[in-house]
Amino acid sequence: MGRLRQKHSDIIDGVLARYPEKKSAILALMHLAQEEYGYMNQEAMQDVADILGVDSTHVLSLAGFYSLYYEQPVGKYVLEICTDLACALRGADEFAETACRKLGIEMDGTTEDGLFTVKGVMCLAACDRAPMLQCNLKYVEDLDEAKFDALIERLRQEAASGEEEPSVVHRILAYAKD
Amino acid sequence: MTDLVTLTIDGIELTVPKGTYVVDAAKRVNIDIPVFCHHPKMEPVGMCRMCLVEIGTPVRDRSTGEVVLNEEGAPQINFGKGLQTGCTVPVSEGMVVRTNTDVVTDARDDILEFLLTSHPLDCPICDKGGECPLQNLTMRHGPGASRMDFTNKAQLAKHYPLGQLIVLDRERCIQCARCIRFQDEIVDDPVLAFHNRGRYLQIVTNSEPGFDSIFSGNTTDICPVGALTTTDFRFAARPWEMTPVASICTHCPVGCNTTLSTRPEAAAGGRTVIKRVMPRQNEMVNEIWMCDKGRFVHHYADAPDRLTQPLVRKNGELVESSWDEALELVARRLQEHKDSVAGLSGDRLSNEDMFLFQRLFREGLDSPNIDQAQARLGGGDVVAQVGLSHGSNLAGLGKGDAILVVASDMHQEAPVWWLRVKQAIDRGAQLVLLNARPTRLDKFATHILPYAPGGAVEQTHRLLNAARVALDGEEADPLQAASVTLVQARHLVAFYGGEGLTLDQTEALARVLANLLLLKNDEGVNHAGRANNGLVAIWPHNNTQGAWDMGIRPDAGPGYQPLDEPGMDAAQIYDAVSSGNLRALYVMGADPIGDELMADRGQLDFLVVQELFLTATAREADVVLPARSWAEREGTFTTGERRVQRFYPAIPVVGESLSDWQILARLGEQLGLGKPPYAAGLVFRDIAQAVPQYEGMSFRELARVEEQWPRVGDDDLYYGGTSYDNKSGIGLQWPSAADNTDASVEMYELTPPAGAPAAGTPEPPGESLMAIPITVLYRSGTLIDHSKVLSTRIIPPSLLLHPADAARYDVQHGDMVTVEVAGRSVRLAAYLDADNGVRELALLRGALLPPGVAIAPLQIVDVEKQAAPVEVQTVPG
Repeated sequence: MGRLRQKHSDIIDGVLARYPEKKSAILALMHLAQEEYGYMNQEAMQDVADILGVDSTHVLSLAGFYSLYYEQPVGKYVLEICTDLACALRGADEFAETACRKLGIEMDGTTEDGLFTVKGVMCLAACDRAPMLQCNLKYVEDLDEAKFDALIERLRQEAASGEEEPSVVHRILAYAKD
Repeated sequence: MTDLVTLTIDGIELTVPKGTYVVDAAKRVNIDIPVFCHHPKMEPVGMCRMCLVEIGTPVRDRSTGEVVLNEEGAPQINFGKGLQTGCTVPVSEGMVVRTNTDVVTDARDDILEFLLTSHPLDCPICDKGGECPLQNLTMRHGPGASRMDFTNKAQLAKHYPLGQLIVLDRERCIQCARCIRFQDEIVDDPVLAFHNRGRYLQIVTNSEPGFDSIFSGNTTDICPVGALTTTDFRFAARPWEMTPVASICTHCPVGCNTTLSTRPEAAAGGRTVIKRVMPRQNEMVNEIWMCDKGRFVHHYADAPDRLTQPLVRKNGELVESSWDEALELVARRLQEHKDSVAGLSGDRLSNEDMFLFQRLFREGLDSPNIDQAQARLGGGDVVAQVGLSHGSNLAGLGKGDAILVVASDMHQEAPVWWLRVKQAIDRGAQLVLLNARPTRLDKFATHILPYAPGGAVEQTHRLLNAARVALDGEEADPLQAASVTLVQARHLVAFYGGEGLTLDQTEALARVLANLLLLKNDEGVNHAGRANNGLVAIWPHNNTQGAWDMGIRPDAGPGYQPLDEPGMDAAQIYDAVSSGNLRALYVMGADPIGDELMADRGQLDFLVVQELFLTATAREADVVLPARSWAEREGTFTTGERRVQRFYPAIPVVGESLSDWQILARLGEQLGLGKPPYAAGLVFRDIAQAVPQYEGMSFRELARVEEQWPRVGDDDLYYGGTSYDNKSGIGLQWPSAADNTDASVEMYELTPPAGAPAAGTPEPPGESLMAIPITVLYRSGTLIDHSKVLSTRIIPPSLLLHPADAARYDVQHGDMVTVEVAGRSVRLAAYLDADNGVRELALLRGALLPPGVAIAPLQIVDVEKQAAPVEVQTVPG
């Protein structure tokens, strides 16, 4: 039995119960696996495949198709800055550059302490509040340099304290359980 | 009766079944609509857009629903605004299709140029070059010169191994998904998938081992470009250099029709060698598919360690001799031992070989002592009575039909039958499965009736009894529900194997199944003597059926004619060898010592072995006669569906070897059986006279072909793939007794079944496990070990355990365990599998029990821990 099944049996059963076809639960379980392993590594893919009785090739395929599944290791916080057209018109490119400079990384890179990864992504449907980003699936909007600094500071403290609010994925999957 | 639809394509009016897609309808009247992603054996997806055509439908008056007529009184056709993909649009009544207009041609030109934006122009070094649909269509539709900036072309991995057998060239892939869909739809091994999107879309596999499928080679046939190649044929030869020769696969009872592509080879000193083995279309046998074993195992034919000259033992050593000397010696010594001689034949040899073998013994030496060297499955005489009926085609099974499979892992024992059974189930046929353990058919079964190891006969008997009761209208338990499915089925095909069963038990099993087939349903109809009904034995080898037909058995001659005084059977022969009651033994195409059927040559005074290689038995022989492989000679094999099929000589003879039948004919001449026939076809003429079932057959009749669907080969590479079309014969199926309208086949007298615990099954003594050997496709053996490509997939002798049992003995995955079973001590790799293992059952893979033992208690006496966990499945053999 894989680590995912051992640690999150309740959530998994809850998710599976919501689908007439077991295989349909794959995207939700992949999110759970990604939370558990940090990214979609071989173990994460195999765990999901074993739970659903599919070949892990199917999991790999979906991980490759959807940009929210990471196939390479990422930081604890993934900052996905929208750099699509509307945001770019409101300075998203410059903002992204600033963000990278402040963290001392390139685009798609991860800070040495393993805390932050910055990615440029396509439209997140919040053009009116650009520049914006999503951090571990939570939107942070109307950004400027100061707000970015504050965000980073808050996240650093959160990571140091070890007191984290439940992740979006867990919140959604726990809801699914009910 | 299917509904029919009439439409017009390029002015040709045709009528096809409703539901046919436009490209397939066009193909029926020889109109080529080019396709890449579409394949006639798979569901359409409309991905490549190459098949764009103009499709018009009759205009109907909205108020009346009547077809609107134009000024000339013909239906007015509305062509709509755009082109449509002919592969996804089903035909409809009155439809008009145009495939040759300028707008269609322009669209094809554009799609082709688009496909070429990322495709390398490396045809001169591409394996597909010369038989490549993309190359051919580029010649017709492609631009003379590329408008693309070559420096800006996609640069991707050119040698991306998808596993040990198949390599992907990512630049050449045009993302048609034929391979992905084949793996998913046709063979249920969904181990290929797309990764990423758009320009970065790529084929990937994540299985362990990579591209884990026993059918993977077929994807290289249907790949419309050179993206998928086999490691066996990659960069080995150009298609136009090779001569295709029709052949038959010799590695399981399916009898897949194949083509051997041969070419003179500098590396072989100018000898013509087999460069690849490809499927050859026979829609009644293998369609256009074959398994990887059949495709990659051929290397033994060209192996350097083949026997090339007769060997005669002189002063204790086997030394080369002439044929005259060797045959004279054999004839003389056999005659000396006339009263104490026996013959054992393998069941891989051709009908001609086996026919002359029995004639040599019965007529030349007056000896009735003939048998198959290793008869593992009985019931051939039952098959002759109620075997799969004449005119049957597994492709004809579907909704309303039923398939019964007993005591077999069909996926490993007869892969292409497994594939075709699976397709039948996809079409709606119901599967009833009786096995002692889970197999790859479980997920497709309507009813699974498991039994305790060794209890197949009893369970089948219960099923038969339930069927009798079910006819009275009761349907209480699973057994009865299953029996209703079977008895009420429109057609019923019953397959049986011999897993975990003794020879006697398999014979009994065949009889029970025969009675089930002969049982009449409510309407008084049974399942024998009509096409798509009957019994099929999953024989251990490719021509076991032929061995039965030719009378390679002690109690019946050719054509199942019973003998008054039966001779010794194989078990008695082996006993007599060791006890000294037998003086001389002739072994043809078998290795009883290597297969542990006999310990050594025992008290034999004279042992002659006819073989391809110097096997363990051959090493102990007094005379070794070198035989030709199937690729160097001609003859016929009979499949498990009783289809007699011809194979043809493809490569030059190795050394001085002779066809088995030639050797036997020359010996026969020395024993007074007359001048040897000079061609296999003449031996077959004798067979057709001696074997009533083969009456009317001849080499010419067996070479007859008929038009088959879908079209493959030659100009249809783009359509069906590179599987060869059949120009050399589809063979003939001989009728069972039930097919013969004059004869009425009676039910067999059965001994009543025992109660709940299956009789004859030893109880597990205390802590031990029960062991049964199971067949694996990639089991190490004399022939397969010559294939480097397959060496990575050979499953070493291993013990498949359920993890719960393994825990009891503190055995972990990959440990080497020493077991005691049936009086032997064997060292095996432990393989733990919760899905395929069964509690208290030890499944022996690639390791056999002694002759006559089908099931035995097994003790684990020693466990050697591995320092690091070993992936058992990928250990090279």
